Amino acid sequence: MAVSLRIERVTKRFGADVAVDRADFEVAPGEIFFLLGPSGCGKTTLLRCIAGFCEPDEGRILIGDEDVTHVPPHKRDTGMVFQNYALWPHMTLAGNVGFGLEMRGVSKREAAERVRDALRMVRMEDRADARPNELSGGQQQRIALARALVIRPRCLLLDEPLSNLDAKLRLEMRSEIRRICKQAGLTAVYVTHDQKEALSVADRLAVMDGGRICQTGAPMDVYRTPATTFVARFIGETNILEGRFDGGSPCGAKVETPFGEFVSSNPLPAGVGAGDSVWVSFRPEAVRILRRDERPGDGCVNLLSGTVCESVYLGETAQHLVEIEPVAGQGGGTGQVRVFELNPRDVVCGGSVPARISVDPSDVVMLAK
Amino acid sequence: MRRRMPSPTPLLLLALLAVVLLWPLAGVIGGALIVNGRLSLAPLAGVFANPVYAEGLLNSLKIAVGTTVLAAAIAVPLAWISGRCEFAGQRLLTGLLLVPMVLPPFVGAIGLQQILGQYGVLNAALGLGPVDWLGRGRYPGVVLLQSLGLYPVLYLNVVAALANVDPAMEEAAENMGCTGLRKFTRITLPLIAPGLFAGGSLVFIWSFTELGAPLIMNYQRCAPVQVYDALKDMGSSPLPYALVFVMLSASLLLYAAVRMLFGRHSNAMQSKATVARAMRRLSGWRGVGARILFAGVIAVALLPHIGVVLTSFSAHGAWYRTVLPADFTLGNFRDALGHEMTVGSIRNSLVFSLFAVACGLACGLAAARVVARSRSVLAPVIDAAAMAPLAVPGIVLAFGFLSISSTLSNQPWVKESPFLLGLVDVRVNPALFLIIAYAVRRLPYLVRSAVAGLQQTPVALEEAGANLGAAPGRVMVRITAPLIAANLVAGGLLAFAFSMLEVSDSLMLAQRADHFPITKTIYELFQLIGTGRYIASALGVWAMAFLAAALLGSSLLMGRKLGAIFRA
Repeated sequence: MAVSLRIERVTKRFGADVAVDRADFEVAPGEIFFLLGPSGCGKTTLLRCIAGFCEPDEGRILIGDEDVTHVPPHKRDTGMVFQNYALWPHMTLAGNVGFGLEMRGVSKREAAERVRDALRMVRMEDRADARPNELSGGQQQRIALARALVIRPRCLLLDEPLSNLDAKLRLEMRSEIRRICKQAGLTAVYVTHDQKEALSVADRLAVMDGGRICQTGAPMDVYRTPATTFVARFIGETNILEGRFDGGSPCGAKVETPFGEFVSSNPLPAGVGAGDSVWVSFRPEAVRILRRDERPGDGCVNLLSGTVCESVYLGETAQHLVEIEPVAGQGGGTGQVRVFELNPRDVVCGGSVPARISVDPSDVVMLAK
Repeated sequence: MRRRMPSPTPLLLLALLAVVLLWPLAGVIGGALIVNGRLSLAPLAGVFANPVYAEGLLNSLKIAVGTTVLAAAIAVPLAWISGRCEFAGQRLLTGLLLVPMVLPPFVGAIGLQQILGQYGVLNAALGLGPVDWLGRGRYPGVVLLQSLGLYPVLYLNVVAALANVDPAMEEAAENMGCTGLRKFTRITLPLIAPGLFAGGSLVFIWSFTELGAPLIMNYQRCAPVQVYDALKDMGSSPLPYALVFVMLSASLLLYAAVRMLFGRHSNAMQSKATVARAMRRLSGWRGVGARILFAGVIAVALLPHIGVVLTSFSAHGAWYRTVLPADFTLGNFRDALGHEMTVGSIRNSLVFSLFAVACGLACGLAAARVVARSRSVLAPVIDAAAMAPLAVPGIVLAFGFLSISSTLSNQPWVKESPFLLGLVDVRVNPALFLIIAYAVRRLPYLVRSAVAGLQQTPVALEEAGANLGAAPGRVMVRITAPLIAANLVAGGLLAFAFSMLEVSDSLMLAQRADHFPITKTIYELFQLIGTGRYIASALGVWAMAFLAAALLGSSLLMGRKLGAIFRA
């Protein structure tokens, strides 16, 4: 039975350090929610607060309708998958998986059946009598997942569960975890620093930095319309230019930059008025390089001129560095824009080639300074 | 160009260890199993058929079981509290908790008798008649004395094992709804079992073969004392050899069994912890309770030695049926330093111990370098060999050296040369054998402390030396040794202190009064009727003060790493 999870203004301090600063979000029943951020941002501490291993200094944590803020971990009925799995080496796999059921006084017969089901769910049913140290990393990961799932927890907590696996296995387990969570209809909180993992598995995610939640939203919303420069830089890559908000236009909000005028059709950040100094952010893959006489599309488009001064060919893509020129009369040096080109046909090696670049207004985000 | 020759150090070390370790053991095994040049099980059968020896072995077994169980009962709860909780004064108390380990139970026995004896402190304090707290046959007294001296070994091993348990292992249990005692027995205890049993087997072997404590407690009917009493029959009967052989086999079997059961494989998969452990803060009455528990254990464990100190200050016969001595005096110390036997014995012990530490350090550093640095196939063998004296009881080695000495001194080519005779016949001069015995017994500590130092020193520092043209020997002297000097000095100080108060080799190998080391003198003085125990106590206090200074010195040098030396 999936339940909701509510985090209300949770703060956790370690001495003078504020590890989690007024975190506030809600996870809907059956939703897979990600806490994403660089190491040291407080995401694991927040997860441990939910599991009960840390007690918040302020705020409340509710699982379903129950306030569990000060409930000890063993009474919370959460299933946790630890970063290094924490499988008990002195027990068999079945012993590890069945332990939680034993603690809950489930009858031996039922427990055996549920352990078997859980092992089948993670495709490890034939290894029930093996010991944890006989398993590969991926297999240990599955057992840790089975151990957390078998108790049918009110909420599943995953602490960087894939960080100890190699790249290929990580990809495989990503979709596996999503499949299992959805199959069991679990409410899950998943901590990671890997943006690809978060974007591909999450229903919704929160980006954390320095203990604070910077932005919460669906993966595509957070990626396409980051709320802060930190989020824009942490998830994916981005080009950021400084400018001044210059009011509206038929094509969208206008921003005056040293390199020309930018138009964004995305919503304005809260509290920004005409004349305010702002950032403009656009993704490298949103930039098109116009060759020679190529014309930009009709309608609204942002156009800049400069020179392609460096290219790195990567097969399916090429990464270009474009030096853009300030508009005449504006002071300051040149700026640089990174461009990702899919299916590249020609790259610049040595020297530089004059070019114009274009960005669609729907790909430009204005960020408050 | 020819391939470089492999370094000869591992082979030389192995040869040396074989001579000082395998030869005496071979002497014991040969004496026990070979009769008139033929293999025979008769002496072994004789030991078990002899009701006195059989009883002695059984009693020793009982002592070992009792000591190990009692030591574990003391050590495990204390280790759990200090490994999982925090309370004010913890550092000081956990430090003091280790002190009894280095105080010789041999000396403490004198004090324990003063306190728990029929006319001792406890009965006087409680106003009781001559109740015999030490028990008929002295069994409870020996077990108490030994467990009070040996629980720190278990404590250190359990604390280390607890620290190695990934906190996530216990958190996973809590997450599954398992807490408290159940979490301890189901998760924590199995995870620390290797450490518990490793420490337990050391305690078992030590108490099974301990000579000093039962000797002073007058517990005659146990195997080590019987071996000591049978020394005079060594030349004529294989039975003492067979008895020692039984003790050796039992110790080695136990050591090997624990290693096999709890070796590298079963629970070794403990991954590196990813979360720091949150210590439980004990405040209020819980904190007070923890402090009382620790202080109480320390007080009881120090009781025998407090008894020794009081005895040393007591006027002759003035501590009888009273809580404190009726009359205090400094005379015993004056007598202890004036007695011609005591002054000589202090000098002897100093000389033997200094030489032993010097040899041990040289050997230990070389062995540690091979173990920690080289990729020689012999490295694990040398590691095991250097650690072996932990599993080989001191009394067995002493007996082995004695048998070598008697074999060599009966060779005609030795008999002709007074110089050689002085070297190898312990009846003439035990110096050589005592120095070797002291060095071998303390080798594990020296190797462990040097290895610990090497593992913290980047190899690149030594490679830079070699790169600039220093040969391996010079790298060792000019770079390695100075870098790990603190570890070497700490290990050396400990080895020195232990050698100064070594019991079984000293008692068995030193046979003429002018060659007695301190411990043998204490034992001889103790046996004197009347003033003996007071002067023996005074000498014991001198020795303990010495030991305390050495220990303080090494703990300052090693810091918190000191415990690592005593781990199995």
